[in-house]
Amino acid sequence: MRNTTYPAVLLAALFPLSAIAQSINGVVLDQQGKPVSGANIQVEGTELSTKSDQNGQFEIKDLTSGDNKFHVVAKGFAHLHSHVEIPQQGLQNHQFKLNRSPIEVVDVVATPVHMSVMESSMPVNVLAGETLRRQQAATLGDSLEKLAGVNSNFHGNVASTPIIRGLSGPRVLISQNGLDVGDVSRVGPDHSVSSEASTAEQIEVLRGPATLFYGSGAIGGVVNVVDKRVPRDNSTEGEWTLQTSSVNEQKIAAFNVTTGFDSIAFYADGHWRESDDYKLPDSDEKLASSAEESFGGTLGVSYLLDNGYVGLSVEQFNREYGIPGHTHADDHDEHDHDEHEGEDHAEEQVLADLEQTRVQFLAELKLDNQLFDKLNVRLLSSDYKHAEIENNTTGTLFENSTTEMRIELIHNAFAHWVGGVTLHYKKSEVAAQGSEAFTPPSTAETFALAFVEELHEGDFLWQFGARAERVTLTADNALLPNIELHAHDEDGHEHDEHDHDDHDEASVTRVFAVEQEFTPISASAGVVWDFAPTYNLGVSLSYAQRAPSASELLSFGPHIGTRSFEVGALFALHQEDEESHFELNEQALDLETSRNIDLTLRKTQGDIGFVFNAFYNQVDNYYYQDFTGLYTEVTHDHAEEEGGVHDHDHAHDHAFELPVYNFLIDDVTLHGFEAQIAWQVSNEFKASVFSDYVRAKRNDGGDLPRTPPLRFGSQFSYEDERLTAHLDITRYQQQDKIAAFETATDGYTLVDAHVSYDLSLLDLDTSVYAKVNNLTDTEARVHTSFLKDLAPRPGRNITLGIRGYF
Amino acid sequence: MQFFHLKLLAVTVSAVLLSACGDAETTIVEKDPIIEQPHDEHDHGDGYTIESAGRLVVLESGSNNAHLYDLDDQTLLDSFALTYSSVSLYASASYRYAVINARSEDYIEFIDGGLWREDHVAHLHDYKQAPAMSGYTVTGSRPTHIVNHDGKLAIFFDGNADTNEVAGVKVLTDLDITNNKTNLPTLEYSNNMHGVAEPHGDYLYTTVRRDDADSTSGNKILPDQVAAYHLHDGEYEQEHVFSAVCPDLHGAAQNKEHQVFGCSDGVMVTGKEEATFSSSKITNIAALDGLRVGTVYGHAELHSFIGVASAHGGGPAVLVQINPDEGKMEEIDWQPMTNAQPVAYGFSLEAEHFLILDNQGYLTILTQHEHDGHMEWEYANRVDISEQDVANMPDGMKFTMTLSQNEHLAYVADPITKHIITVDLDEAKIDGEMELDYAPKAVTWLGIQAEHEHDDGHDHAH
Repeated sequence: MRNTTYPAVLLAALFPLSAIAQSINGVVLDQQGKPVSGANIQVEGTELSTKSDQNGQFEIKDLTSGDNKFHVVAKGFAHLHSHVEIPQQGLQNHQFKLNRSPIEVVDVVATPVHMSVMESSMPVNVLAGETLRRQQAATLGDSLEKLAGVNSNFHGNVASTPIIRGLSGPRVLISQNGLDVGDVSRVGPDHSVSSEASTAEQIEVLRGPATLFYGSGAIGGVVNVVDKRVPRDNSTEGEWTLQTSSVNEQKIAAFNVTTGFDSIAFYADGHWRESDDYKLPDSDEKLASSAEESFGGTLGVSYLLDNGYVGLSVEQFNREYGIPGHTHADDHDEHDHDEHEGEDHAEEQVLADLEQTRVQFLAELKLDNQLFDKLNVRLLSSDYKHAEIENNTTGTLFENSTTEMRIELIHNAFAHWVGGVTLHYKKSEVAAQGSEAFTPPSTAETFALAFVEELHEGDFLWQFGARAERVTLTADNALLPNIELHAHDEDGHEHDEHDHDDHDEASVTRVFAVEQEFTPISASAGVVWDFAPTYNLGVSLSYAQRAPSASELLSFGPHIGTRSFEVGALFALHQEDEESHFELNEQALDLETSRNIDLTLRKTQGDIGFVFNAFYNQVDNYYYQDFTGLYTEVTHDHAEEEGGVHDHDHAHDHAFELPVYNFLIDDVTLHGFEAQIAWQVSNEFKASVFSDYVRAKRNDGGDLPRTPPLRFGSQFSYEDERLTAHLDITRYQQQDKIAAFETATDGYTLVDAHVSYDLSLLDLDTSVYAKVNNLTDTEARVHTSFLKDLAPRPGRNITLGIRGYF
Repeated sequence: MQFFHLKLLAVTVSAVLLSACGDAETTIVEKDPIIEQPHDEHDHGDGYTIESAGRLVVLESGSNNAHLYDLDDQTLLDSFALTYSSVSLYASASYRYAVINARSEDYIEFIDGGLWREDHVAHLHDYKQAPAMSGYTVTGSRPTHIVNHDGKLAIFFDGNADTNEVAGVKVLTDLDITNNKTNLPTLEYSNNMHGVAEPHGDYLYTTVRRDDADSTSGNKILPDQVAAYHLHDGEYEQEHVFSAVCPDLHGAAQNKEHQVFGCSDGVMVTGKEEATFSSSKITNIAALDGLRVGTVYGHAELHSFIGVASAHGGGPAVLVQINPDEGKMEEIDWQPMTNAQPVAYGFSLEAEHFLILDNQGYLTILTQHEHDGHMEWEYANRVDISEQDVANMPDGMKFTMTLSQNEHLAYVADPITKHIITVDLDEAKIDGEMELDYAPKAVTWLGIQAEHEHDDGHDHAH
């Protein structure tokens, strides 16, 4: 959605065949012949574009004569690609007739090839405009969970991250303007994503392997948050929101504004949000430690050139949020030493204090070159840290310092092939210090070269790409402590023996310097075939590889967020004379490799539109955590520092027990579908339904944990000039395909409603809105959540807000 | 703990793996292991922790002098001239500072005891410095009840009806004193009262005085309601008013689960489980014989509380055990000596003992025993702490006591003999003496607490 108009005098010179500049004018109409206002008309392969006026009229000057390809985009309509022959004398009164599309179509901006929900061999979703504003939540996972194929890992409203087709964590890359978000949300479900939806312009989701564009870490998909923080034009416009919600007394204020003069463009945004612990459904109780407070701001500046722009933005992001379920009374309460223990920790206030500074440099330059058409440069420098604080004491400090560079060189159309090469470098230094330092400090460095090409010929759109990568992971001090492991007997357990034994002997921690070098290769090929008018069929085949992350390999320690003791794949359990201990893994630490096929059937235009996706994804060397059946005693912080006669009493107060999970490497298969159907009943009424499903199982039997259940939902909407109303009903089925240590989760139905009214005050676009989430106040437990047993979704929530655009 | 490195030959493990397309290579070099020696009893040998019996602050009667003693070698470290002479003495929430409350002057000042502990995440770091007068002060109208719980000290300012000053609460930690924090978390009322506040995490359980027409209190300056306030942006905001009513509320204490407030008709119990606030009443028992519980002692290690009922201004005392879980009040038979009127109470470290110091010069030691599944306090021992005739007690003076927070020791100050004795509570015998050249008016212990010590007992006696 670019509306930049550049003086085209210079541009004309870029085209070797260009004759004298010509112009086109005309009108954009719908199928009934009514004018469509606000349609964006772009001349493909150029920076020329304009918007139709209230009567649908438009004019573009400085065109070259001959064949021009136009791309016409308007809300509620299918994208129109149209070849127009411009004669020497220019073209008058040309008509572009648009077809309805009840499914909203927004282009993905972060890939070098053209992608949208309707035109791509790979399945994508884009959340933008009013739909984004309606669905945005405090966390990225909760903002996206109404998209087909996307679930939230619901971590008590405060740290939820998206799950794409059953995959999350290190397999789903979260990026901002195509650059890594640079947080530690991929390491633990209790770690928040440091990206803010309320100031974003659009959020793009690539479902399925997207390593081609993003590299290792995108094997399961990508969530890319797009914003205007490095402004691309300097017309003055902006947006502001004030909102309050009942369930957690949440208050939000957010704004963004772009302006400028001459060749300079400025951007600023800010957001502030505060919420209390949220109320549980059908109760006056609140979920402890689910409060949140965040504020942040961005300043951006760009220099607008005749052939593009260069710009810089600086963001400061702060967030303080509770970590629900961060108590140390674990699930194995039957083995608690006395009731005191549980109560003791239940009261602990645990919160995370997150701070990030993010500097982005973006440049897009149109080139005057025989071979290359465009150069895109993106640079990132991000400093992230979050402290987990218990009782006013910092327990663990997580730090991530990331630098990234991505250079895209797009070539001129060559025999109708469009595409380019990407050079990509990324370096992340991650450390966790303190009581929860389950992963030693490590540095991951990625260097990659990729190309992507597409060809639109006749009824076929061909898309190809390949990428080679070099990933090095180094950790100077990977620790292997000698921990006491024990199983739980039927008739209680022999805690005391364990407790007292280990005072007698020295404990030895082995230390390793680990260096790993991976060369993942990815390739994909796809086609979209317009086999009948308004229908297309897409097929995409991909081969994708991922280097395992530091936490999957090197972890060794208690991870309070998941209430488990995590042991990376570098270490494996050995058994000697009934005694178990961890040693170095003798199994090779190989690349995770996905072979994925995606089929898509779409009806792109008309009063009824649909998109059906089916996928089959076979992943070899899948890294996953498996319960060892053993437990280990963890002493909290300073228990060992105590002296005195009552030493043992103290130790009991601090000690708690965690189940030990070891990363194993296995082959798994995931398959499933997503379906969306939308029916534009009248100009005002629309009804749509969607469903998604994923089955994730190990090839040697057994299911993967925390897999989303079958889901279907419907949305009814009414939209006229001033009033919009939406009713969403989503059904989550029971999930009983569970891993060995999991329990089944009941199904539930969520009902949400949203009404918005446009005030059109002072000619400004201002609307008031009200929404109700969980209208029926249902207790909903989320199977994909680590806190399933502890934290149901919030109860009925009424939100009121006002939003304006200028 | 001691860490040292073994000189071992580094072992190199290398695994190379080639797959169809991608490639993965792992190089692992084993370095010297970290050996952690087992720690023996009382070992703090990581170089950061300090073992010290602590320090004593003693107020000299008839002057504005405060003296600081080192308990490791029984020496006087320094003396300080206080701004006012009519003061009461407390320890700060983490026992680093002496809190000097000049109530009638609306003025609180602090002495840095010089012993404290910091949590450096990787280790605990103890500090030992010379004591010093802290420049930090807290002011407010009629600071009266000073309560400490879990690292927080709540000062209740009664306010003053004569000068139209309202009541308020300020909550501070030792770090706030160190940092000279000016904007302490504060609660301001709209009226004055003789109230009390219990800090609990971000919450404050505190008294509410209603309009005199609504109040059930006989003495209207005493509140009759309790509310939970929650900290937001440095101010406490009312979140819940408990439904139970507590006429003539006086005295409060808390443990991890409950707060208990003394009322003329019984005691009121409040609590918060998950997000639900609750309150209940336990009515007075016959054994109180017309008295009411006006002082309450609680401890983080205990489920039950001890309430003290005595006539205003002293007199024989009835002690009761208050069990919020069972909703019961039971008399504790502490077997008082003839004419014994308690002058001080307190829990020892980890609530192993409850102590009653009386005007006859006896320290009574109670311990807990299990009977029919529940814990009861019973008379265990009695230490005669004075060889002098207690009739020689100077006018307006009394025995005072403070308790060590890292050993089972009590320090009793005796204005007759002008000395401070150390009582070993496990052995129930006098274990040391420190002679003074003045009559001690008040005494409090400062130092580094034993880890995980949550002392809730507040030392103000009424």
